[in-house]
Amino acid sequence: MESIRLSLTVGLSATLLSLPPAVAVAWYLERGRGPGRGFLQTVVMLPLVLPPVVVGYLLLKLFSPRGLLGGVLDRCGTPVAFHWLGAVVAAAVVGFPLFVLMIALAMKGVEPRLEVIARLLGRSRWRTFWSVTLPLSWPGILSGAAIAFARGLGEFGATIILAGRIPGETETIPLSIYAELESSGGETRIGTLVLASIALCILGVLLARGLDRWHRRRLELLR
Amino acid sequence: MRFDIAARVRRSTGFTLEARFSCQADSVGVTGPSGSGKSTLLDAVAGIEPGARVVLGGTDLGSVPIERRGVAYVSQDPLLFPHLSVRANLLFSPRASDLGEVPDALGIRPLLDRMPRNLSGGERRRVALGRAILSRPKVLLLDEPFGGLDETRRRDAMSLLDRVRSSYRLPMVLVSHVAEELAALTDWTVRLEEGRVISSGPTVAALREAETRIDNYFEGEVVSAGRVRVEGTELACLLPERLSGRVRLACYAHDILLAREAPRAISARNVFSVRVANVIRIAEAVLVEIEKPALRALLTTEAATSLGLSPGTEAFAVVKATSVVYLGPA
Repeated sequence: MESIRLSLTVGLSATLLSLPPAVAVAWYLERGRGPGRGFLQTVVMLPLVLPPVVVGYLLLKLFSPRGLLGGVLDRCGTPVAFHWLGAVVAAAVVGFPLFVLMIALAMKGVEPRLEVIARLLGRSRWRTFWSVTLPLSWPGILSGAAIAFARGLGEFGATIILAGRIPGETETIPLSIYAELESSGGETRIGTLVLASIALCILGVLLARGLDRWHRRRLELLR
Repeated sequence: MRFDIAARVRRSTGFTLEARFSCQADSVGVTGPSGSGKSTLLDAVAGIEPGARVVLGGTDLGSVPIERRGVAYVSQDPLLFPHLSVRANLLFSPRASDLGEVPDALGIRPLLDRMPRNLSGGERRRVALGRAILSRPKVLLLDEPFGGLDETRRRDAMSLLDRVRSSYRLPMVLVSHVAEELAALTDWTVRLEEGRVISSGPTVAALREAETRIDNYFEGEVVSAGRVRVEGTELACLLPERLSGRVRLACYAHDILLAREAPRAISARNVFSVRVANVIRIAEAVLVEIEKPALRALLTTEAATSLGLSPGTEAFAVVKATSVVYLGPA
């Protein structure tokens, strides 16, 4: 099924795309000392509370060929609006707040005195992050990725606005179900898609729970 | 090394540390009651707490970033990196080029490939100390490094630290509330109370002002209910029921009486003849080391003088059974 394959590709790509910024933002929110953390947190959490259609509209404004980023990306031969990349961006943005929350939670669990000891032993903040904070929050980051992936898989509102519904290109599972609902006789296909959706999401959540449990057990063991 | 330290730290809890002292010493002890600001002072020296002016050996550390201060910190909790092996922990500092003889000196070479979770408390502390030494610090900060160790391990750790101090010529700041540790390892002691320095001077003088409570820790073999043999002398003490084998015991030095003649009709259950091995003067008190069993009794100078105690003197030690405390199996 094309839409299942596309959903998996979009979900995975969105997760990978948002991983570095999610880690950076989570670190700044959890450990950073600079200004604007409250503001940043509000902005990052917006996609969680805004209607997905509104998020999609704002993304369309940004990524359309006449938008601030879309124009530049278009000239570079990387169109986003009404392209599968649009579905990736929409899924990444909508899943971003949960991803950041999960990583920040994992980083909160890292004993801050370990980072202090690393600094005293001569490592810079940057090297301390790479050698202590990141490895110790890694399982939490992975469970955050699983949640973000599952969220990306179900993304509909922002995707249909930014990427449209182009079969084989941007038609992910939710969009495909929507299309089948409009046509007659698509009950069997809808059933298959719904089952695939449920299975993938359960898989994602189970993976997240498993990783979270592993993380907690590891942290307890490490204490 | 010359230590010039002025720390001013305000905590949201209302606690304020305003400590200032200068000294020329190899090793500085910081003592005082719980909550007096000992650890906060160490944090300030290390640069973890801002607000301290720290000049060590003529170098002002105020503007030096924490990673370039050359200050190694070993706390009561060894804080090993749990995801790294002992070897990786030891070589964590960019200044640690190779292990050299440190693993042998600390007796941790067999542990190099183990993970911290598979180490005992004592082993973790030794690894933390090794990691600190290998970071080639200018000064070593130690926060209650012997806390929570049983007596045998505490003594081992103390002698190890003494060897480290002399072989690596490493200036140290040691936080401890145990007079014996300060006496053995430091030559200058700063006493804090409620965040302020109330005395700063040579350790011997500082201990003179402090309550000197030096304890005895020893082992013995249970011979019957409530009786243990310690170096050939049988002692009555309060033991849990059905105990056998070797046990660890403790007794305060000030709970041991000395007499030149055997006291009679006395409630104390332990009266045994001893020979004085050594007499150490600690200001107004005298610490008398006795042999067989090797114990220490804390007497006033007046009492020691009137008894005419000196090395070789034969005497009787008097110890109440309730003064000998059972610590656990050996």
